[in-house]
Amino acid sequence: MPVWQSIYEELKSDNFEIISVAQDTGGEEAAGSYFDDANVTYTAIIDVNHHISSLYNLVNVPSGVWIDEEGKIMRINEGTYAKEHFDGAWGTNDYVPIVRDWVAKGADSEYVWDRSKVRESIVQRTPDAERAQPAFRLGGYYFTNDNDEKAEQYWTMAQELDPTSWNYLRQDLEYEEGGNAGPEWRARREQVESAGGSYYAPLEIENN
Amino acid sequence: MKNMRSIVGLTAAMLVSGALNAQSTTVLYNERVVELEQTLPDATDLWVKPEDLTRVNDFVLKPEGACLDELCVPVLQDRDSAMFVTRQGQAWFNVTELADKLQQAYVTDYNDGIWSFGSMPVTRQSFLRGGEAPDFELMGRDGELVRLSDFRGKKVLLLTWASW
Repeated sequence: MPVWQSIYEELKSDNFEIISVAQDTGGEEAAGSYFDDANVTYTAIIDVNHHISSLYNLVNVPSGVWIDEEGKIMRINEGTYAKEHFDGAWGTNDYVPIVRDWVAKGADSEYVWDRSKVRESIVQRTPDAERAQPAFRLGGYYFTNDNDEKAEQYWTMAQELDPTSWNYLRQDLEYEEGGNAGPEWRARREQVESAGGSYYAPLEIENN
Repeated sequence: MKNMRSIVGLTAAMLVSGALNAQSTTVLYNERVVELEQTLPDATDLWVKPEDLTRVNDFVLKPEGACLDELCVPVLQDRDSAMFVTRQGQAWFNVTELADKLQQAYVTDYNDGIWSFGSMPVTRQSFLRGGEAPDFELMGRDGELVRLSDFRGKKVLLLTWASW
């Protein structure tokens, strides 16, 4: 997050805004200090209902979307990081340079996707995955109202309806023994990766 | 299943007799939490007063039907139908029937009277087919509402992350 802040300071003069949205049912208490510690001056939102993931069909964090001056999506659904962490254990140094290129060149940037590529990159939802959205929302409502039993019931329902959502799984595990990056998460991730899938939506830096 | 049928049968009987033990209900849709003081008791469907419809899902009941911007779903209002009934002079609109017509997903906790609605496909086509960024309105940390549409004329890098 401090890295995004420095990138923001570098680029903000070019009619560029970062909107950073924490997908955190725990709200300010869970996510607020991360924004504060980085002294962010870009637009910061704590999204307790994961509304942005729901609206943009995103299933994991971090994810990035490029939106141009007219509100058109230029890239979507990528596992985005500001930089590499721990010698490449996770993260990437490849994303920020393409953001910089886009901010400078706009539609002429070679990293801007054409309309069909954008369309193809939007995650398609099954009817069950569509139902997972209101189920998760209902679980969040109960969580906020301190009814953990019902929160668990509807969060579990959401995960069953949309097993592709890491957000649903890990938000729920956050409040269970083992935590959000514990054995259950590791097992699920290994299962997906050993079947040839990828945990993060891949970055496709080279195209056009 | 047998139980289910008898409940539905009972509900139909209540509708016919016009029993109006109107009950309070909570509706979740997008960021909103709508408390309704009165809905028509029904085992499977959510019936609201027409004046509550807009608070629930932005639709407005007009003579030509239930309308959202240019979209109007025809609703006969001079007789009872699956979408609209009148009981003891009070009109009731069937929100779940409309949701079914629009293929809008929902999940209900019947015991607590809470109805959680998903997105309407009809409002999603410009995103899914056109790659246009869906607008949103969320409270920013500084206490100001953040609307994506307020950033027209700027490039926006929208990032999601989480503390967990």
